[in-house]
Parts: sequence; structure tokens; C-alpha cells
Amino acid sequence: MKIMIFQIIHWIFRIGLAGIFLYTGYIKLESPLQFAAVLYGYKLFPTDLILPMSKYFPWVEIALAILLLIGWKMRYVALAACGLIMAFIAILAITYFRGIEANCGCFSFGDRITPLTIVRDGLILLPALYLAAESVLRSRQIRGQSAF
Amino acid sequence: MKSISRVLCLTLFALVVAVAARASGQMANLKPEQCLGGKPDAPIRVEVFSDFECPACRALYLDTMRDVLKDYCTSNKVCLVYHEFPLQGHKHSRQAARYTKAAQKMNQKAWQTLIEAFFLNQEKWSADGSVDDIAFKALGADQYFNLKKLLLDPAIETEIDAEVAMGQKLDVQSTPTFYVYALNKEQKVVGFLPYLMLKDFFDRIVK
Repeated sequence: MKIMIFQIIHWIFRIGLAGIFLYTGYIKLESPLQFAAVLYGYKLFPTDLILPMSKYFPWVEIALAILLLIGWKMRYVALAACGLIMAFIAILAITYFRGIEANCGCFSFGDRITPLTIVRDGLILLPALYLAAESVLRSRQIRGQSAF
Repeated sequence: MKSISRVLCLTLFALVVAVAARASGQMANLKPEQCLGGKPDAPIRVEVFSDFECPACRALYLDTMRDVLKDYCTSNKVCLVYHEFPLQGHKHSRQAARYTKAAQKMNQKAWQTLIEAFFLNQEKWSADGSVDDIAFKALGADQYFNLKKLLLDPAIETEIDAEVAMGQKLDVQSTPTFYVYALNKEQKVVGFLPYLMLKDFFDRIVK
């Protein structure tokens, strides 16, 4: 029963996180110019870097979503998802505390960066952390079993 | 479990591809005089909602759209449309909009000259309201007096109101906001965008 509950939580988090990455990647692919404008609005990246970022970053999100669903190299994918979300949170926090009025560019391009958007991204980090911790623990368990 | 994840993955991927392939963005028909640069039959259309007192609109025009006019509109790859969207809090914006609307009725060159003059001298006239002086200096006596006659036309107010209403209908909430129409798709961009990004996008459509 306990294992079943963990399985359900695992799948909810995996599908949820994959859905989020798929959606956010898709909206960026649909509006590459607006995404570039959002990246420019953070006033954090050099202009030369914004163009490749706006082109390739949505594909990174979509690739992560697909890998989360497939479950291939789960440990690394979950850790990459954690890293990505943490980077997002850091960028939003830096922009907010510098007093720059910019769009979040998270789920839509109309969202202004507020403490609430930062907290919301913090909540998205939780399932990614769970999946990363779970896969790291599982791989340790497997290694421990094979040592005997 | 693995087969479930594969089916889910394939379904979602197919959904993304289907939605991405969806065409949108209906372009309204334009008259040649509505283009600040280029012609209505250009493969790409950029429609900007702009306010003359807004600093980001100044940056967008001087750092981005001026190069678009030079590099893409002269060869009719892009039709650039400027819509007046004077914001309530800006004291002299509407007056500047009236002048440029009148200049639009004269010719493309006079319209471009006046827009550029207003943006270049934004700090001065937005502080002291010297819209008229800027227009005189930018256009020269002959064109200025012609412009003054055109300013008497009450249609100018109606046209500005219509452009504001159009922006509101398109959910323009701040300036600058612009729409890029190309390959039957529409992209809304809010805020400033460096020329480099637009150039890369245009070059993928029209080499």
C-alpha cells in the first residue's frame, strides 16, 4: 500500500512537471520574439547571448519534459530540472530585487515579476526535488544491493 | 509502466506539434499610405502601438525600427505600420500624435521625419510642450504650413481614437507593443526588442 502511494506521487510529480515544461517550452516556441524581449527585459544577459538563448532554450524545456515522461536517466534529468528551476528562481529574484519592472515569462508573457511569481516557481521546485532525491536514493539502494 | 510513459509522451508530443502547426494571425487590409515604410504587399508586416512620450517607444524606434526601415522596408520585405497610442498620463503625447497623423497624410518621408524628430527631442518637448517648434524645425517652412492646414481636419482626432480603440481591442496594455505578422502567424511583443533579434527573425523568412 505504502509503495503504491509513493508510485502514485511519483507519477503525479513526473507528469505534472513534464506538463509544465512542455507548456512553458511551447509558449516560448510560439513567441520567440516576445521571449527574446522578456530575456532582454531582465537586463542580466549580454545582447549577443539573448538570440541563441531565445532560440534553443524552449527546446531544452521540451526535451526535459519528454525525458521526464520516458524516464530515461531519471536521476540526471530530475537533477537538471532542479537546476533549471533554481536558475529561473534566481533570475526572477535578482530582477525583482534590482527594482526592474520586467515580465516573468513563465506561464504567459503578461505576468509581471512579483514575490508571488517567485514563490510559485519555488513550489514547482518541490516535485523536481522529490524526483531527484528519490532517484538518487534508488540508485544508491541498487548499488548497495549489488555490493552484497 | 514504461509503456504508459511512452504513450503519454507520444500523445503530448503530437499535441505540441499539432498546436505549433496551427496557423493564426489574420492581417487586416492596408492602404499604401498606412505603411511608414514598405508596401502593404510585403511578406512581413510589423504593426507598432506607440506613444511619443514613452522612453521605451523612443528606444524601439531609434535603435530598432529605424534600422528595419532602412534594411527591410526600402526593399519591401517589411511593411512597418505605426499606430498612435497616446497614454493618458502623458501630457503632450496626443498633440504629437496629431502632428504625425497630419504628416502621414502628406507623404511617407514627412511622416518618418516627424516621428524621428519627436523621438530624438523627446526630453525637450515632453517637458515644455514645444511640439510645434520641433515640427517646424524638422519639416521646414513649406511642409510645416501644409501640415498646419491638414491639422485643421477633424478626421485626425477620429483616426487617433480609432487607432487607440484598435489597440484596446487587441489588448494593448502598455507601450510599446507590436505585432509581427508573417507566414500566416501573429506574434505579439510587449516592450523593447533589439534590432538583432528582429533581423534574425526576418532573415529566416526573407533572405
